[in-house]
Amino acid sequence: MSTDSRGRTVDVDLERSVGAGPFRLLALACVAALIGSYVWVLREVTQVVGGTGSLLLLVGSMLVAATVLARAIRPRTATAAAIVVVVVGFAYYLEATGVGVDAALAATGTILDDTAALATGLPLLRMVEAGLWTLGFAPGPAFLSWYLAVRGRYALAVVPGGFALLFLVLTGDAGTTITLVGTACGIGAVGFGELERRGGSVAQADLLAVVFAAIIVLSLSVTILPGEDGGATFSGGGDGTLEGTIDTADEQSGISGQVDLSPEVRFTVESEERSYWRTGVYDRFAGDEWIRSGPLEEYDGSIDGPPGDPETVNQHVTAQTELGVLPGAAQQVGLEGPPVRHAEVSAHGQPQPADTLVEGDEYAVESAIVDPDPDELRAAGADYPDHVIDDSDYLQLPEDTSSEFEEYSAEVTADAETNYDAAVAIEQYLRSSKGYSLEVDQPSGNVAEEFLFEMDEGYCVYFATSMVQMLRAEEIPARYATGYTSGQEIDDGEYVVRGLDAHAWVEVYFPDHGWVAFEPTPGDAREDEHNDRLEEAREDGHDGVDIEESEDVPISDDEDDDESEGNEEPNESDDDGQADDDDPNDTEPDDADDGANVDDGNGDDGASADAGSDDGFDPREVVTITREQLAIGLLALVGLAAGVRRTGATRRVRREFRLYWHGRRGDPDEDAQRAYRRLERLLAREYRPRRRGESSRQYLSALSAAESVDPRTERVARCYERATYGGGVDREAADEAIEIVDELARERLPLLDRF
Amino acid sequence: MTEPTPQSAADRGPSRPEPLPVSTIEELCADVEANVSRVIVGHEDAIEHVITALLGRGHVLLDDVPGVGKTMLARSIARSVDCTFRRIQFTPDLLPADVTGVNVFNQKSREFEFNPGPIFANVVLGDEINRAPPKTQSALLEAMAEEQVTVDGETRALPDPFTVIATQNAVEPNQTYELPFAEIDRFMKKLSLGYPDPEEETELLGRAVGHHPIDSLGPVTDLETLVRARETVAEIRVEEPVRAYATRLAGYTREHARIGVSPRATISLLRAAQARAALAGREYVVPDDVQTEAPVVLSHRIRTESRDRDGDSVVADALEYTTVE
Repeated sequence: MSTDSRGRTVDVDLERSVGAGPFRLLALACVAALIGSYVWVLREVTQVVGGTGSLLLLVGSMLVAATVLARAIRPRTATAAAIVVVVVGFAYYLEATGVGVDAALAATGTILDDTAALATGLPLLRMVEAGLWTLGFAPGPAFLSWYLAVRGRYALAVVPGGFALLFLVLTGDAGTTITLVGTACGIGAVGFGELERRGGSVAQADLLAVVFAAIIVLSLSVTILPGEDGGATFSGGGDGTLEGTIDTADEQSGISGQVDLSPEVRFTVESEERSYWRTGVYDRFAGDEWIRSGPLEEYDGSIDGPPGDPETVNQHVTAQTELGVLPGAAQQVGLEGPPVRHAEVSAHGQPQPADTLVEGDEYAVESAIVDPDPDELRAAGADYPDHVIDDSDYLQLPEDTSSEFEEYSAEVTADAETNYDAAVAIEQYLRSSKGYSLEVDQPSGNVAEEFLFEMDEGYCVYFATSMVQMLRAEEIPARYATGYTSGQEIDDGEYVVRGLDAHAWVEVYFPDHGWVAFEPTPGDAREDEHNDRLEEAREDGHDGVDIEESEDVPISDDEDDDESEGNEEPNESDDDGQADDDDPNDTEPDDADDGANVDDGNGDDGASADAGSDDGFDPREVVTITREQLAIGLLALVGLAAGVRRTGATRRVRREFRLYWHGRRGDPDEDAQRAYRRLERLLAREYRPRRRGESSRQYLSALSAAESVDPRTERVARCYERATYGGGVDREAADEAIEIVDELARERLPLLDRF
Repeated sequence: MTEPTPQSAADRGPSRPEPLPVSTIEELCADVEANVSRVIVGHEDAIEHVITALLGRGHVLLDDVPGVGKTMLARSIARSVDCTFRRIQFTPDLLPADVTGVNVFNQKSREFEFNPGPIFANVVLGDEINRAPPKTQSALLEAMAEEQVTVDGETRALPDPFTVIATQNAVEPNQTYELPFAEIDRFMKKLSLGYPDPEEETELLGRAVGHHPIDSLGPVTDLETLVRARETVAEIRVEEPVRAYATRLAGYTREHARIGVSPRATISLLRAAQARAALAGREYVVPDDVQTEAPVVLSHRIRTESRDRDGDSVVADALEYTTVE
C-alpha cells in the first residue's frame, strides 16, 4: 500500500509467529549442547587418563536410548532408569577401584565424604580412577536430559544436565567458557521451549539474544577487568613468576608462558649435603598442567622411604617469608618441629604443611638420599612393583599424545640398553638440543610435544615435562618433581634459597632403588640467567633479596662459575657420589652443556634485549587482542545489535534514510504512495503530523490554511489519491511525485542544502 | 473519464441505460443546484445532499421545525429534473391505501381498476410522516425498500427513479408516532436544514414577496439523463482502502454506541460517497467523500445509551479517531 505499511509488512514477517518447528529444533539443540558441555569436561578428564572412546560411546548410546524410549516410557520410569544407570555406573567404579560395592554400602559416609570433597573443589583428575568415575557419572544425566527434551519438557530437561554441570563447576573442572556455554544453553532451552509452546516469534527471540549477550559479556568481562589479584599460594609466588607457575596450587602445577623470577629469599637450609629442595611431586599429566592424584594423609611420624638402606641426611629449614610448602631433600622420611604438626603426606611421599608457614618458622627434615651408582641402576632391570606400574599414573600419557612423539622418544633412546641409559639419553638429548629461556610463549596443546617438536627454548618446566613424557612413552615410570635448587651457599652447609631458585625436574623409578632424580634442564644457562636477575634485583635495592648473612656474599657468578658448574653438573641433587664418578656419562653431558651454553648465550641476548624493551614499553601489550576478547567483543556486538533492534532504533534509522531516499522504483502506484508518505513525514517534521482521522486532502488544506506550504505538495497528494483510491497512476505521474518529494527533501536535508 | 468499454456494456445487458461521462454529471448537478438555489436561499449543503441521495438511489429524511423550507426544497429539486412529483401529507388518520392507491370498481367495465396512490411518482414528498400511525408508515416502508407496492395481493412496481423525501416534525412529540428503527434505517440520509442566517432570510423574504419563484422554476434536465447519471454513479470506483475505511467507521460506531450502524448503512454510505465523488467530477471515491457523507448517513442510525451523547457526536468521534489510509 504505502511505505509505511510496507515497513510494517516487514515487521509482520518478524512478528509472525514462527511455527513450533524451528524453536523445537533450537531448544533441542540447546539441551544437546548442555549435555555436550559437561561431556566435554569429562572428555578432558578421559583424555588424560584414557577412556574417551568408552565415554562417547556410552553417552551416545544413552542419547539413542533416550530418543527411542521417549515415546515409550513415562517420566517416572525414565527417572528410575536414570538412577539405576547411575547406581550401576558407580557400583562398577567402586568394584574397579577395589573398594567393592559391599564396602560402599557399609561405608556410605565415606562416599558422602568423597562427594563432598569433590563438590568443594577437588578436581576429578585427582581421583585415582578418574576415568571410571566419569564413565559412572556421565550416562545418567545425559539419558534423563535428552529423554525429557525429546518429550518437550525442556525446563525439566535442563535440571539433570544443569546439576551435572554444576557438580563439575564445583569440582573446578568446568572452565569459565564451558560453564558459560552450558548456562547459556540451559537458558536457551527453557527460552526456546517456552517460545515453542506459546508460538513465539523471531522478534521475541531477539530478547533472548540480548539476555544471552548480557549474561556472557558481563560474566566474562569480570574476569578480564584489571585489578583482580591472582591469589598466590605463597607470598611473592604470583602467577607471573616461575615459582608461582610451578606451585600455584598444591594439587596441580600449571605450565605457562613467559615468567619472571622473584629474587626474594624464601627460606634457608642448614644441610650436611647440597641438594635440591623438593616441595611437590606430580604424576598425572593433562597436556597443559601436572596433577597430583590420590588423597592426602595426615603425617603420622614417618614417611615410607625408598627401598633398600639409603644414606640419610638431616636438614634444618627456616622460613624467611610465608611458605606454603615443606621443602627438603628428596625422599623426606621424617619431620620434626612445630610447623609440621598436622602436616599431610601425599600418596607420593611428599609432605605438605597444613597451615602456611610464617617467617621464622623452623623445622627439621630427615631425608633418605637415593644415590646409587650408574652401574647399579643399569642393573636394576625393569621388574617394577605393582604400586608403580598398575596402581598409579607413572606411565600415564594423555590420550592425544601423537605417535610421532612416541617414535621420536624411541629414536632418542634407540641406543640405550637399559632404562637408566634411556633416561640419561633423553636427559642429555634435551640438555643439548634446547636452549634455556624464561621468555617463551605458552604453547597450546600438549606441552611435552610442543616443546619437543616446535620450540627451541624453554625453562625447567618444559624440560622436565618433556622428559617425563618421553620416559613414559618408553614405558619407564617417571614423575614430575618441583621445588627449589640448592640456592646460594653462604656458609659451609648453609644455603639461602630465593624465589628464583624455583625449579622443576624429573624423578625416574628404578626397582630396588626407588625414585632417582634427573636434571634435563641445561644448568649453566639457567644459573647465569638467575644470577643476572638476582644481581639486578640487588642493584635495584629490591626488598627481601638477602638475609643478613647473605648480604655480603657475592652471588656465585663469573668467578664462581667453575665451581657452580661443578656443583650443578650432576644430574640431580649434587650428591657427588653419583655425579662425580659419573663415568663416561658425565663427560658427555659436559660437552653437551657447553653446547647448550653457547646456545643459551644467544638466547640470553635475545632475552635481555626483550627485557630492555620491557622496561620501556612493549608494543605487543598495547595492541594484543586475545581471542577471548575478540569473542566477547563480537558477542557484545551481537547483543547490542539485538538490543538496538529491540528498541526499534534500526527501524528509525531506516525510516530516516527512507525519508531522503526513495529507493528502488517499481510499481508506479507504490512509488506514488511511497512518495506521498515521505512527503507526509517531511511535513510532519516541519509542521505537524497528519491526524488519524484526517484525509490527505484535509491535512494538506489544513496546513495550507495555516502555513505557506509548497503548492507542489498538492500534486503529490493527488497522485497518491489516484494511486490508492483511483485506478492507479502512470509512470510519469509517479516519477513527477517522486521528483517533487526528492526536491522538498533536499531542501530540508540538514547539511546538503548548503552545497 | 469512464468511457464504458464494450465488454462492460455487454455485462450490464441491453436493458441498462448508457452511463454519462463523469464530467457531465458535475455540470448537471451544478445546473440543478443553481436552479434550486433560485428558490432556496442558502442551504447549499442540504441541496447537495439531496442531489447525491437522488443520484445514489437513496431516500432522504428532513428533520426540522416547520417552515424552514423542507417541502420547498423537495419540490424545487423535483421540478428541476422534470419528473413526476407527489406530495403526501401524513396525518393520524391516513390509511395505507391513501398512500399506495386502491382498487376501485368501475361501473362501466364492471371490473376493478387500480387507482394508483400518490406514491406512484419519481419524487414523493412525505410530509410529517411521523404523524401517521405505524401501519401507514409501513406502507411507505415497503415502497422505499423494494421500490414496489402491494395492493390486495397484487404487487406493482414503482416508477424508476423513485425517491422519497420525507419530513419529520420535531416540535410536537406528543402528537407523533416515532418512526420505527427499521424505517429510519431505510433512509439514506437524515438532514436538518436549520434556520437561515439573517442575510439569507432577508433575501428569502425579498424573493417570497410577490410571485413565488417556484412557479417559474423550469426543469434543467430530464428523467432519462437522471437515470443515466445514476448509472454513472453506480460505476464510480470504490477501492479497497475506502471500503476498509468505511468498515472501520462502522466498527467504531458499533463499539461506542448501544446500537451502531448496520451493513446497510455502510452500503448507503458508500453509495452516497460515490455520488459525492461524481459531483466533484471524480471517477473514484476518496476518504473525503466518505467523511462528507458520514454524518448525515450514519447519525440517525445510531442509538446511544446516554442522553448527552447522540449519533452526531458518535459519528464525529468516529471520523476523528478512525485512521484514514
